Amino acid sequence: MPEPAPALKRQSMTTRLLLAPGILWMALFLVLPILMIVYVSFWTQTTFNISPTPTLASWKAFFGSDTYTGALWTTLRLWLIILASTFIVGYPTALFVGLLVKSKTVSTVLLVICVIPFWTSFLIRVLAWRPMLGKEGAINIVLMKLHIISQPIEVLLFTELSVVIGMTQIYCVFMVGPIAFMLARIDRNIIEAARDLGAGFGRIFWKIIFPLSLPGVVVGAIFVSVMVLGEFATSAALSGRKVNLLGNIIVTQVGSLKWAMASVVGVILTVVMGIVIAGFLRIVDLKREL
Amino acid sequence: MQPGPEDEVVVETAVFRIEGLTRRYGDLLALDNATLEAGANEYISFLGPSGSGKTTLLRVIAGFETPDAGRVIFQGRDVTNVPAHERGIGFVFQNFALFPHLTVMKNVAFGLTHGKSGLSAADIDRRCREMIDMVGLSGMEDRGVDQISGGQRQRVALARTLTLRPRLVLLDEPLGALDANLRGRMRNELRAIRERLGVTFLHVTGSESEALAMGDRVVVLDRGRLIQTGTPAEVYDHPASPDVAHFLNRFNMFDGKLSGGSFTGAFGTAPAPVATRSPRDVYAVRYDRMRVLPLSARTDRPTLKARYIASEYLGSSIMSFFDAEGHVVEVEHHLSLGAPETYETRQEYLLSWNPEKAIVFGREVQ
Repeated sequence: MPEPAPALKRQSMTTRLLLAPGILWMALFLVLPILMIVYVSFWTQTTFNISPTPTLASWKAFFGSDTYTGALWTTLRLWLIILASTFIVGYPTALFVGLLVKSKTVSTVLLVICVIPFWTSFLIRVLAWRPMLGKEGAINIVLMKLHIISQPIEVLLFTELSVVIGMTQIYCVFMVGPIAFMLARIDRNIIEAARDLGAGFGRIFWKIIFPLSLPGVVVGAIFVSVMVLGEFATSAALSGRKVNLLGNIIVTQVGSLKWAMASVVGVILTVVMGIVIAGFLRIVDLKREL
Repeated sequence: MQPGPEDEVVVETAVFRIEGLTRRYGDLLALDNATLEAGANEYISFLGPSGSGKTTLLRVIAGFETPDAGRVIFQGRDVTNVPAHERGIGFVFQNFALFPHLTVMKNVAFGLTHGKSGLSAADIDRRCREMIDMVGLSGMEDRGVDQISGGQRQRVALARTLTLRPRLVLLDEPLGALDANLRGRMRNELRAIRERLGVTFLHVTGSESEALAMGDRVVVLDRGRLIQTGTPAEVYDHPASPDVAHFLNRFNMFDGKLSGGSFTGAFGTAPAPVATRSPRDVYAVRYDRMRVLPLSARTDRPTLKARYIASEYLGSSIMSFFDAEGHVVEVEHHLSLGAPETYETRQEYLLSWNPEKAIVFGREVQ
C-alpha cells in the first residue's frame, strides 16, 4: 500500500512534534532530577563536604537509626489514618453533594464552598488551627464556657491528634471532589430500578452506589496519598516538631546541607509513593471507568 | 360514530384500575383525572406526544411518583400509598437502567438476590437461567452489560423485571432506543413473552405505528387527559377528536366549517352526513384514501387542486407530497394495488376522495 504510507508518516511526525515539549519537560525536570537524587544518595558525605565517591554509608545510616526508620513508620501510620479519616468525612459529604442534592446548581455551589478554604494560603490554613486547638484556644474556651469540661483539653494541640485534625481538614476536599464527580454520573434510573426490584437502601448502597463510585474513591485516595506522604509543613506546625515524617527529615537534612541523607530519604519516599499508587491502580481500571 | 362504553373491550378480571389520577408540577397539569381499567393478559399502549403526561402516568402507576388525587388499584388492593417495590409491578426503563458494573446474570438476578424473594441461591440461579433463555440470551450470562448490543440490553432489562414474576409490567418507550429492524423483532418477542407468562403490559410510546401494532387496546393521551380508549382498529378508523387524528399521523386534516350536513373547506363543499362532536370543525381524510387525478378529470367527488412536490419510497407503499396553497397534502399509494403513477414536479393535479370515508368533526352535529 504505497498511498497510506506518507499520510501515516505525516501523522507520526505530527504526533512526535506534539509530544516533544511534554517529553522534554518531563525529562529535564522529573526524570533527570530523580536519577540525580538516586545517584547522590550513594555519594560520600562528610560534615562540611560531599564527594561523588560511591558509598552505602547513608543508606546504612538510615536503616541503622531508630529515628529514621521511626519516621518511615510514622509516615506510613499517619498516611493510613489520614486516608481513613478523609474517606470517613469525605464520602458522606460527596454522597450528599453528588447524589442526594437533586439540583445541579446547588451541587456546584456546594463544591465551590468546599474549595473556598483554598483561597487562603496553605500555611495560613495550617496555622489557623493553632488558635482553634490550643490550650486557650477556641474549642477549649467554648467547651469550658458550656461547662462540659473544667480543665482545658491539652492533647488537642502539639500532638499527633492535631496533625491528624489539620491534615484531614486540608486534604478532605481532594477526596470529596472525585467521589462526588463519580456519584453525580450515576443514572438515577438505575437507583430507581434497584428500588423497584425490591432492594433496600443498604443493599442499593453496597451493591450499586458504592461499586459505581469506587473509581472516584481510588482517584481521591491517590490525591490524598501523594500529598500526605510528602507532607512536612502541617506536621511541623501542628505537632511542635514532635511528629517527624520523612518529609520533615528531608527538610532538616537539606537545611544542614546533608545532601546524601536527604537523597536517601527522597528515594525511599518516591518508592513508597510508587508502590502505593500502583496498588490503588490495581483496584480499578481507571482507563475503563472514567 | 364515537365508540360508546358498549364497544369497549369487556374486562373479565380487572387486574388493574386507576381512578381519577391527577398530578401537578407547579402550574403544569401533567395528569388530569385519568381513569382506566386493564384485565389480565392485556397489552395496552399509551400513545401521546412528548409532554402529554404518558411517562408521568406510568411513574405514578409504578409508584415512583405520588398522585395529587385519585387511586391506583392493583389486584383488588389500593396501592396508591404503597412504595414501588411492594406493589409487585415491574418497570422497564426507557434507557434500560441496567447496572453497568454487573454481568447479565447478576443484573437479571438482582431482584431475587437482594429483594425479599427468600429463594435459595440454587432456585435463583435456575429461575434466572430460565428467564435468560426465554429472552434468547443463553450463553451470555457472564458478559458485562457494556459488552452486549442495544437489543440484548433491552432483553436483559426485560428479563430482570420478569424474574420477579410481576402481574403487570410497565414499559417506558422500550423500543425507542433500538433501530427499526430490532424494533420489529422485539415487538414480536414482547407479544410472545406476554402470551407465555400471562402478564399485563402497559406500554408507553410516542410512535403511532408501535401503539397500533402492539396494543390490544390503545389509549391516546393529550395534555394529561386520556382522550380516547379503544382497540387499534377503533382508534384508527374512528378517532374521537381532531387531536387523536393528528397523533395518528395518518390523516390530511382540513379546517373549515360544518353546517347542515356538509363541510366547507379549502376543497369547496363536501357532503358530511356523519360527524363527531368536537369544539373544532375539522375534515380528515386518510393518506391512503386520497386519489390523484389529472387536472382535466371530471368527478362528482370532492376535489382539491394541488401542486406535486416529491415522493418518498417506503417499501410497501409510496408517499407523495402535494402543495395545496401552502397546505401539504400527503397521498399514500400501496404498491400492492399496482405500480405507482409518476407525477411531474411542480405540475398541478386534482386530489380526490370518497366523501363517505372522510372523518368529520364539528360543533354542529345532527
